[in-house]
Amino acid sequence: MTDPALAARPLPVASPKFTVRDLHFHYGDFHALKGIDMDIPEKQVTAIIGPSGCGKSTLLRIFNRIYAIYPKLRATGSILLDGENILDPRYSMNRLRSKIGMVFQKPVPFPMTIFENVAYGIRHHESALGLSGGQQQRLCIARAIALKPEVLLLDEPTSALDPIATGRIEQLVEELKSEFTIVIVTHNMQQAARVSDLTAFMYLGELIEFDKTEKIFTKPDKKQTEDYITGRFG
Amino acid sequence: MSALYLRRRITNALAMTMSMLATLVGLAFLAWILWETLRQGISALDLKLFTKITAYGEDGGLLNSMAGSLIINFIGIGIATPIGVLAGTWLAEYANRTKLGESIRFLNDILLSAPSIVMGLFVYTIIVLPSTALTHGNTTFSGFAGGVALALIALPVIVRTTDEMLRLVPSTLREAALSLGVPQWKLTLQILIRAARSGIITGVLLALARISGETAPLLFTAFGNNYMAINPMEKMSSLPQIIYQYANDPGEAMHALAWAGAFVITMFVLLLSLASRLILSRTKVSHD
Repeated sequence: MTDPALAARPLPVASPKFTVRDLHFHYGDFHALKGIDMDIPEKQVTAIIGPSGCGKSTLLRIFNRIYAIYPKLRATGSILLDGENILDPRYSMNRLRSKIGMVFQKPVPFPMTIFENVAYGIRHHESALGLSGGQQQRLCIARAIALKPEVLLLDEPTSALDPIATGRIEQLVEELKSEFTIVIVTHNMQQAARVSDLTAFMYLGELIEFDKTEKIFTKPDKKQTEDYITGRFG
Repeated sequence: MSALYLRRRITNALAMTMSMLATLVGLAFLAWILWETLRQGISALDLKLFTKITAYGEDGGLLNSMAGSLIINFIGIGIATPIGVLAGTWLAEYANRTKLGESIRFLNDILLSAPSIVMGLFVYTIIVLPSTALTHGNTTFSGFAGGVALALIALPVIVRTTDEMLRLVPSTLREAALSLGVPQWKLTLQILIRAARSGIITGVLLALARISGETAPLLFTAFGNNYMAINPMEKMSSLPQIIYQYANDPGEAMHALAWAGAFVITMFVLLLSLASRLILSRTKVSHD
């Protein structure tokens, strides 16, 4: 809150789903996130972009506190989800994670049938491990939304898929946005431009710029953002 | 052909030849062992080997020893499997990367390499001697005591394989399940054990193969019995013990029986290993 630069980043919407304030993250001695402030709007798609190692996946993995299963990782600051601080140790992990679904870079079907994976679908009594990569990833999205979460976190969901499967996932994201708040981390800038309403650009553990996707990709305020978008580094 | 390419081809051919030779040496010994036990025991490998008990001496068979071995091994693996799988699961899923977990893993490795006669003497001290005192001096060697001694040998093997198989399950699977809001116990029971199942079963089969050849732990526990014993509270014969006994006998016919027994055990262990290979290759779960 004390960051004067915050004033330069107008809060994009009136009804934020997540309110991130002064968020710091440490992997042991490594300071991975350095004071992130951002508001993630409800029922819109927010993309997080930035070069490898900038902390975008780290940030996503704090939203459902999945980082907490590993020792020596530490998050400080606050993230309000509907007004409650999810970093508070009293906030129930099971409650948090049933509100927030997550889909990972590589599809992770469980070693059981499709039916058991999602409890519905076609060809559902075959092993889920026999599906193609794109089908597996859609299965994982189905599994996540079968629990009726409020938020969907997508961690580079198409980086292991071919262009056609990627197109299908993007279409799915478009359809899902009317019901869910979606946060997507992606390496693919065109993808961010295609699917998101808002885009956050991160660099070296800091949030450099966060605004409407259209603005980020046409006339960003910061030089670093422009350099990244135009491919001058990354 | 460039000099570099030629050198690589020569190195490759050399390495291939060496590794094939190494494989052949290993296989040759296995074939030799099988052949030798078969050749020496062939005269005793007949129906009466499987139908008559050792009380008939050289006119008898090894029925009571085989039954005893089956019962003792069953008790051993029956005790070791649940404890071992639970302990391995705890190590991999609840105590991984903790000081306590690392210390217990280390102690388990020590137990893994403990000499088997020590296990026999230990069980003799904690089970056989106290129950002898309780029954006013009647010696109480028993199949059960033998089973406990074998369980102590199988236990660290099962703990180790369960632990390792679970730790081989990629962490993405844990993340995916936990991010659905699944509690740890459900994740462990419904997903991780399932993903590691074939490896765990293989570990149990290998432990069974390991204990079915153990002689030393049975000498002070199950002792031996020339008659048929089904009740595990009685003294019990076993194949390794009878091989040991018959091999020390001066009679040629007894030697043949011992060899036949050795052949039966070797085949049993071979089949168990093959079964575990088959399970591993057939139900291999890929996570890619």
